[in-house]
Amino acid sequence: MPSIHSLIAENIGRSYGDVVAVANASLSLHPGEVTALIGPSGSGKTTFLRLLAGMERPDTGEIRSGQTVLASPGRHVPIETRKIGLVFQDFALFPHMSVLQNVMFGLRELAKSDRVRAAEKWLDQLGLTHRRDAYPHHLSGGEQQRTAIARALAPQPVAILLDEPFSGLDPSMRDRVREVALSAIRAAGVPALMVTHDANEALVHADRIAVIEQGSILQSGAPETVYRHPVSLAVARALGPVHPLEATDLPREWQDTLDRRSDTFWYRPEAIKLGSGIELIVKGSQLAGPVTELALALNTSAEIFAACQPGTPLTPGDRVSATIEPSLVFDFQSKSI
Amino acid sequence: MPRWMPSVSAIPPAVMIGLVGLPVFAAIYAGLVAGDGATWAHILENRLTPYTLTTLATLILAAIMMLGLAVPAAWMISQHDFPGRAFFSWALILPLAMPGYVMAYAWADLMGVAGPLQSQIRAVTGLTAREYWFPNLFTVPGLAFVLASTLFPYVYITARAAFSMQSLATLDAARSLGARPLDLFWRVALPVAMPAILGGLCLALMEAAADYGAADFLGIQTLGVGIVRSWTSFGEPNTAARLALMLIALAAILLVTARLYQGQKGLHQTSTQWRTPGRTQLPRPIAVAATLLCAMILIICFVAPVLRLLWLASQSATRTVDLAPLIKSTLALGVLGTSGAFIAALIFTLAAKRTQTMKLATRLIAAAGYAAPGAVLGLGALFILRETGQALTGGIAITLLIWIYISRFTSAGVEPMQAALDRLPRNLDNAARSLGSKGVRQFFAVDFPLIAPGAFAAGLILFVEILKELPATLMLRPFGWDTLAVKAHAYATDERLAQATLPSLLIVFAGLAPVLLLSWRLSQTERA
Repeated sequence: MPSIHSLIAENIGRSYGDVVAVANASLSLHPGEVTALIGPSGSGKTTFLRLLAGMERPDTGEIRSGQTVLASPGRHVPIETRKIGLVFQDFALFPHMSVLQNVMFGLRELAKSDRVRAAEKWLDQLGLTHRRDAYPHHLSGGEQQRTAIARALAPQPVAILLDEPFSGLDPSMRDRVREVALSAIRAAGVPALMVTHDANEALVHADRIAVIEQGSILQSGAPETVYRHPVSLAVARALGPVHPLEATDLPREWQDTLDRRSDTFWYRPEAIKLGSGIELIVKGSQLAGPVTELALALNTSAEIFAACQPGTPLTPGDRVSATIEPSLVFDFQSKSI
Repeated sequence: MPRWMPSVSAIPPAVMIGLVGLPVFAAIYAGLVAGDGATWAHILENRLTPYTLTTLATLILAAIMMLGLAVPAAWMISQHDFPGRAFFSWALILPLAMPGYVMAYAWADLMGVAGPLQSQIRAVTGLTAREYWFPNLFTVPGLAFVLASTLFPYVYITARAAFSMQSLATLDAARSLGARPLDLFWRVALPVAMPAILGGLCLALMEAAADYGAADFLGIQTLGVGIVRSWTSFGEPNTAARLALMLIALAAILLVTARLYQGQKGLHQTSTQWRTPGRTQLPRPIAVAATLLCAMILIICFVAPVLRLLWLASQSATRTVDLAPLIKSTLALGVLGTSGAFIAALIFTLAAKRTQTMKLATRLIAAAGYAAPGAVLGLGALFILRETGQALTGGIAITLLIWIYISRFTSAGVEPMQAALDRLPRNLDNAARSLGSKGVRQFFAVDFPLIAPGAFAAGLILFVEILKELPATLMLRPFGWDTLAVKAHAYATDERLAQATLPSLLIVFAGLAPVLLLSWRLSQTERA
């Protein structure tokens, strides 16, 4: 197996006329790690993926696999020779080929028998051996997905890029398919980029997270780091709800626990913890799956929002005791609000 | 509703089904039971086998040529950008306006010893006509070329649609796995589009099998030619009937195959991400090659033959042709035939709306007429005439001819009307009925206005198809009722090509109208 390098994008940019799709974006994808690229619609995440894949040429910047330059102002390795595996949201399997033939498609350089053997190895790894001769339209969504991943990994690519790979799947099977798919990708040891708009998926399943907005990578790092230490409001928002809190509305007991630097704090709803602390009146209560979303009155005009699991159902007018967890309260000072 | 109502409303479609179907079944019946006259061994040995083999050889060669003309052009036009792409996208449909026999006259003149091509060769090389080889149009490959060059747009249209419907992601996936442009075409795009392409090819071959005029002019003994000759020249009605049976079987196989392929709607695409606007920009030399390819196809299959006919028509000899009576009888037959087929198509379309059985019955019968070549239906009509003891004169002949037009072309009228209905919300009809509309009022207030957009197209297509029709008109027309097509053919086979050009050109120009309409409709659906 050839040695595997990081896939590195340095300051890449791409514009369409006056529209800047990707601007000065830098990101390193490391072997064996799944990096989630998260951002709202139109943030440039798909263009970024297309630039890495070689479907588009960057106007500026450089893309490298280790020391090998794949794209730069003077050089463009086309998609056909770039050896980057792609998995699409709609799987894009070849409808006229069986599962085995799909997986063998990228193995043309091998002898026929080697091709079959290599493809079968991937089918085995992704639990598709029994579907070897089935055609795509006979497969379930999860099987199609796994075929697409086997097909992308089989030619031993220098990296694999996945565009919303799990959003087309039925929610009931999504977790299991994701498990199998991502562990196969990690086992292959290649750098992987997974484009997603699902913050939860990124936080739970990725090794690293990169947040993109308006074509720029705002922050990248371990999920825990990015979630707890967002560098900007945009990053904080990309990974889950945050709410503003004016410093003047803060109860005095809470002010002591927070290190005040600006007039507005931003907090995640789970920063508000029930059980002890100051007493607040419930203004509204809404069940939202495993947690309950509460609106609590801080004073006559200000409310805070909490996501918690109260022992008994609460109704407006009830009183609860609450504290605030400082690590989930962000203070972006003056920038980017 | 009283219980007798459904049966009354079922009468017109039932009558029409009988009317449209009878000539086909008469021909089939005659072919199955024909007993007297020439012996079976004689027919089989001297007629059936050679005519059938010639027809099959023609069709096979034409199929190869049509795929060669249509598929690369469709691939380039649907996936790539090159100079003239938008123009060729619709212009490559134009050859459909040329009936096969007109294409044959034009190319026979272009390729003749005295024609411009051979003259040029002699002028350049200084050789005499005997000293070089030049392809001969009056051969089976020549006929295949003529038919392919007018009918390839059927394949082009379906191939273009199939290519542009392919998922962009599928092609990107193939490229990311190392597929080069040619790989992409051969290993992914073509196999996925193949069912649709073969469907279009079978329809085109069915039309090719129905040809009489081009084969007769070029002296190729196809089944279509054999049917007419056996009846008129050899006086062997049974031979004609047997040949007709063979031709019907061939056409039916092609039609059913086409429908099976079309039913598949391309291979099951699991991918739903359809094409985004981006067409591949070709490198300069390849872009120029693509433009040249499309231009060459258009020149060979349309521009050169039409220009040649125009040039011939501008020569003095054509002034001896008196067009007025030809146009008069063509218009008269065209209007009568169009009216009849239009009413039949309207009745079929409305009946198909009522019950599934009716829908199936009208589809089947219309398809039977559509698949049956003009020569076969003409023969069916002659058998009916013989059984009823009538002679082919005056009013009877005209009635018979109109009947055959109805039988042959009703399905061509049903198709656009059905398409107009299919675009409407399903429950529109039920809504109208729930508001108390039925019977005549339902027809004029709801049904007809809804069908109207398709009805115009249907009328136009019917008129032009009837105007181009040759074999049945040739067999059944009464004395003094020569149409443009009949006269053009008579002049051409008489080696008075110059006189044939003016009626031929009129047919081509009339034929352009529905082709342009078709092209416009295709561009509309593509945009949708």
